[in-house]
Amino acid sequence: MFKSILSKGRRLAGIGSIAAALVAAAPAVAQDKDPIVFGGSIPLSGVFAFAGVHLHAGLTDYTTWINSQGGINGHPVKYVMEDTGYEVDRSVAAFKKITGSNTVPVYYGDSTGFMKTIASELNSRGTTLMSGASFATALTDNEQYPNQFVPGPNYTQMFGIILEYIATQGKDGEKPTVAFVYSDTEFGKDPIENGKAKAAEMGIEVVEEIVTKPGSVDVSAEVLKMRRARPDFVVFHGYVLSPINEFMVQMRQMGLDTQFMGTFWSSDKLIINKMGEDADGYMGVMPYNYYDSAEGGPMLDALRATAEKSDPDAGYRPTGYMQGWFNAMVWTEVIKRTMDAGKELTAENMAESLASIKDWDTGGIIGIPVTAHDMSFPVGRIWRVNAKEGRYEPVSDWIHLD
Amino acid sequence: MDWLFFGEISLAGLAMGGLYALIGLGFVIIYKATRVINFAIGEIMMFAAYLFLAFAGGMEMSPWVALPLAVLGGSLLGGVIEKIMIRPMLGESSISVVMVTIGIASILVGVVEMIWGADPQLLPSFLPRKPVFIGEMYLAPKIAYGFLIGAALLIVYLLYFRFSRGGVALRATASDQAAAYSMGINVRRVFNLAWVFGSLAASLAGVLVAATGGLSPQFGAIGLSVLVVVIVGGLDSIVGALIAGVFIGWLETVAGAYLGGEYRMPATFAVLAVILVFRPYGLFGTHEIERV
Repeated sequence: MFKSILSKGRRLAGIGSIAAALVAAAPAVAQDKDPIVFGGSIPLSGVFAFAGVHLHAGLTDYTTWINSQGGINGHPVKYVMEDTGYEVDRSVAAFKKITGSNTVPVYYGDSTGFMKTIASELNSRGTTLMSGASFATALTDNEQYPNQFVPGPNYTQMFGIILEYIATQGKDGEKPTVAFVYSDTEFGKDPIENGKAKAAEMGIEVVEEIVTKPGSVDVSAEVLKMRRARPDFVVFHGYVLSPINEFMVQMRQMGLDTQFMGTFWSSDKLIINKMGEDADGYMGVMPYNYYDSAEGGPMLDALRATAEKSDPDAGYRPTGYMQGWFNAMVWTEVIKRTMDAGKELTAENMAESLASIKDWDTGGIIGIPVTAHDMSFPVGRIWRVNAKEGRYEPVSDWIHLD
Repeated sequence: MDWLFFGEISLAGLAMGGLYALIGLGFVIIYKATRVINFAIGEIMMFAAYLFLAFAGGMEMSPWVALPLAVLGGSLLGGVIEKIMIRPMLGESSISVVMVTIGIASILVGVVEMIWGADPQLLPSFLPRKPVFIGEMYLAPKIAYGFLIGAALLIVYLLYFRFSRGGVALRATASDQAAAYSMGINVRRVFNLAWVFGSLAASLAGVLVAATGGLSPQFGAIGLSVLVVVIVGGLDSIVGALIAGVFIGWLETVAGAYLGGEYRMPATFAVLAVILVFRPYGLFGTHEIERV
């Protein structure tokens, strides 16, 4: 019984940690050149551990895969990480420890808070390019955060993609109405003002705006407001699961035919696994193909093969896994471009290499060639839950914002 | 003004307040009998909710079997905590005991993460899903039925404390430990009973609140929100916890609906600040007078 209630995530974390330790400890037997270190402050415990274990597995498996391909220009890759518990002070301590004992050209930050906190040190060092779990809009400000990027669209761009989709769903020439529901956190508030401006620009009326505490909360009063506003679409941001389920169930109980959408961290299969039939019709914006989507491509196939090999019992890999893998893919591309240009691996040179990425074929991780824009990759697709099949299915083409 | 909307919001707030009252009751029973402020109450709630998840989800028991089992499990946990970790602290400073309860809270979070992992969870649905209308006013079914179950336990508790031998012993110990001891009441047993009963109320509230808003290892934070309830009502007043629970639930919901979700907490803490200034021992708490 005990075994049956152990979560899959914990098993992945355990296997991932062992694999990471082996990778870190292994001498560069395959290649003679100095190893390139991928550093990481990783939330294997704490409030973000549900995603952290999968991010970690993605980074670990990518490292295994790239080394099996001969590393980066003949340099083996070493992944060195510390668990942070999703606490900024521990993330900072991990960063100092890892960068103090290794030369670390690229680093995974576990939160917006950490990435903002470490920015001034990162800028003064000029040695490391950073990305991570955050898609915060602020981090794509090149002036303030020249050495950080987000591995997909930032939250404002995700809202942009969602609104582009909503704008196409009007009937009789009328634009649908929308309501924004977000958590009372920096994460939750991130895209709201820009989202409202974008909606106004597109002629979409925002009929309600609701802010809630994050996590386990009663939202029956907020649902009553929705009953009066009757939006055609509700866009959630700043949540992982609750209270999305309560809004959907209660609004449907009231007979509303509203459609529900969410951003990256609200669009994992967790929604389907936990909500079951109630999740049917929920839509999310996702920059990567889902692990179990019908899509393919050389890199996506390699990802699936590596994941299968590293833990054959794991089955489906969540979006955090895809995100971890894609982060490492971008790092590899950036390091390779910088080396090929004969430049040193400094943060400035690598940021330049990042900015030079144009029409990059990600081998199926993202369904169309992508171009870096202001330290982000503003691309995504709308996917809808098919509860019967237990997966997300695409309902839009890939949308690449300018 | 839309009075129907105000009525619906108020109903939702009062129903949620009923659950706050239940958690507050768990807090007060323990404090009243033992003078221990139990900062682990939220984590005991969380643990019981995870037990429900294991019984009804993992072991696929009927939710109506899983519910009493989970609540009993939570109350048993309270009894064990008292016996193993709190009783040895008798005679120590209250700060030390409070620190122990904070430590217990951390241990429980760790245990839950080890067993069930860190993923957010939803409890198996067990409350009726048909919308509840009182006149024209809509009330979310989970909140409505959760309130009814919580209210039933509250009534049982009130009757027990008023009429049973155990209840009288508990009240007597709360009034004067030395006198109770001299009258032959087993005070240590009463302490243990208080933790069992307090944890039982919190455990039931834990399952009902988690059924409404979901569950995660951070769920216990709600226990701290309820600290406002017991301070406003009076740490040692059962009636205070009930009235303040319902009031704070209503206030929080109305403030959230009319001012925005970000004003829920400021509204309740504003009330707390006012109460602390004018009645530092709470609306119904005992005003202890020390003469030098």
